[in-house]
Amino acid sequence: MLRTRFRLLLISLASILAATARPALGAEPLRINGSTTVNPVVVDAADLFRAETGSTVFVDTQGGSSGGIAALGEGRAEIGMISRELEPDDRTKFPQVKFQATRIGTDALALVVSKDVWAGGVKVLSRSQMQGIYEGRTTNWKALGGPDRRIVFFNKEPGRGTWEAFAKWLYGDPKKAPVVSFPEVGANEEGRNKVSSTRGALSQLSAAWADGKTVFALAIRRDDGKVVPPTTAAIADGSYPIARPLQVVTNGAPQGLAKGMIDLLLSPRGQALVTRHGYLPLAPASAKKRIP
Amino acid sequence: MSSVTVERIRRGRIDSLRYVSFALSAVAAAAFLGLVVLFAVEALPFARRAGWGALFAERWSYRTEEFGALPMIYGSLAVSSVALAIAGPIGLGAAVFLAEVLPRRARIAGKVGIELLAGIPSVVYGLLGVLLLRDWMLRPLARWDPLSGDTLATGGVLLAVMIVPTVASLADDALAAVPRSQRWAARALGIGRAGAILRVVVPQALPGLFSALLLGLGRALGETVAVFLVIGRQDNQWPERLLSVAPLAAAGQTVTSKLGGSETFVAYGAPVHWGALLALGLLLLAVVAAISFTGSWLALRRVPRA
Repeated sequence: MLRTRFRLLLISLASILAATARPALGAEPLRINGSTTVNPVVVDAADLFRAETGSTVFVDTQGGSSGGIAALGEGRAEIGMISRELEPDDRTKFPQVKFQATRIGTDALALVVSKDVWAGGVKVLSRSQMQGIYEGRTTNWKALGGPDRRIVFFNKEPGRGTWEAFAKWLYGDPKKAPVVSFPEVGANEEGRNKVSSTRGALSQLSAAWADGKTVFALAIRRDDGKVVPPTTAAIADGSYPIARPLQVVTNGAPQGLAKGMIDLLLSPRGQALVTRHGYLPLAPASAKKRIP
Repeated sequence: MSSVTVERIRRGRIDSLRYVSFALSAVAAAAFLGLVVLFAVEALPFARRAGWGALFAERWSYRTEEFGALPMIYGSLAVSSVALAIAGPIGLGAAVFLAEVLPRRARIAGKVGIELLAGIPSVVYGLLGVLLLRDWMLRPLARWDPLSGDTLATGGVLLAVMIVPTVASLADDALAAVPRSQRWAARALGIGRAGAILRVVVPQALPGLFSALLLGLGRALGETVAVFLVIGRQDNQWPERLLSVAPLAAAGQTVTSKLGGSETFVAYGAPVHWGALLALGLLLLAVVAAISFTGSWLALRRVPRA
């Protein structure tokens, strides 16, 4: 009696397993993970892609750019999103993976401040001033022509494309950046919320996310003395000094669904999405160019 | 069916039940052991490079291969102490009220309410913390002039809210387990209601109450998401004076907020860095396991004397 019941239980368990496993076997989903900067563009493109091809697409932002590389490296995603160049480190960590990046647009990195700092008169920051803040020598906005208020610097987490671009601009190489102790922020949403809700706040943020209502993007005083705000024009002609590529990465040349998705991102419709989210689209001539 | 057959079937059932439950417990134990072994093996590259002791240094900087976790250990302890200091009295007080003052039905209703609180996902508490607590904490901390609302104290207060249900519910169990006859005997001796609670019931329930506090502490130490959202995640905040209040008004890092951060993605594929993070995980596991084990042991050891 017990045996029969036990067997019944086993059979029902097995059938449940079989039922849940079947759809996964039928259509492989397209999994995308990585940078929160690239994410809004890809999410919109994924909506189009789903509607047109009927395929399953998952888009996630676990761990930012490095999370995208890790997900691709471990086979947890078919496409990684990164808001930086591919680094030699990425290849060292996952030697078996043939990373191939496809650029879909350009973003600038902005130094954003909270409303009180902006209204207090701080509109421009130079590289050496930023180094002073990052190295803890400058701790009050007064020294930079602003209100008498301490500087609350929210540092972008390590592994984020934004931080890499920032450190590259500030020290030439992220590896040369000194070890510092600041509160850290992760995704763009978090950075923006913390800056807008804290007095005297400063952080690094994708220029497209600096809305000018809750957080304000400072202009950069370049080493040659020229003051350049992160406008689309200044990013496009290269005069704004902290730009970085928005890329999607695949293991080897894109194939199947991943290729369809990337072709969509490179198409005029995909490029329109890049523009809509405040990023700089590819110049028409380089639209097909793939950076290895 | 003769009674002998019934008896045989019954015995057979009990036997198979015993095997099944043994097998399932073995699976649980094996999973735990496997976890520990996996962590230890993955942490080996770090131990070989720097030695386990390197974890107890003051500086964490993975680019220079420094993996000192003392500031995070301090952060975890500070946050949990604040939480326990607030949640302990509230939780125990609530338990006394539930078990000793309320009539039976009201007690059950109250307990259900409290256990519902314990079931709220921690990320919800974390979002409430971001929404409300970060701003509220600026006022009580004004004396220490915090840079922002992301402080160790904020994390501690948030954790206190989260572990009150755990402490209250377990402490209530402990109090309720003291036999009624003890209360009657006390009252018969002319001791008032409050006296009976304080001098008779609470002392007998003491191991159980202590265990409730310990299990609350265990939950506080292991909590990740909520703390992650309000603590500021500032590395290398080793306080100048360990027992002063001032560092609580600054941002910091706990072991869990470190492990919950994006550094795991950077570390993956870099054996020493990855090993250091897993060593940190192992440390957390050991501490929380020790506390939970002691707590459970105290709770089980409690034998009510009639």
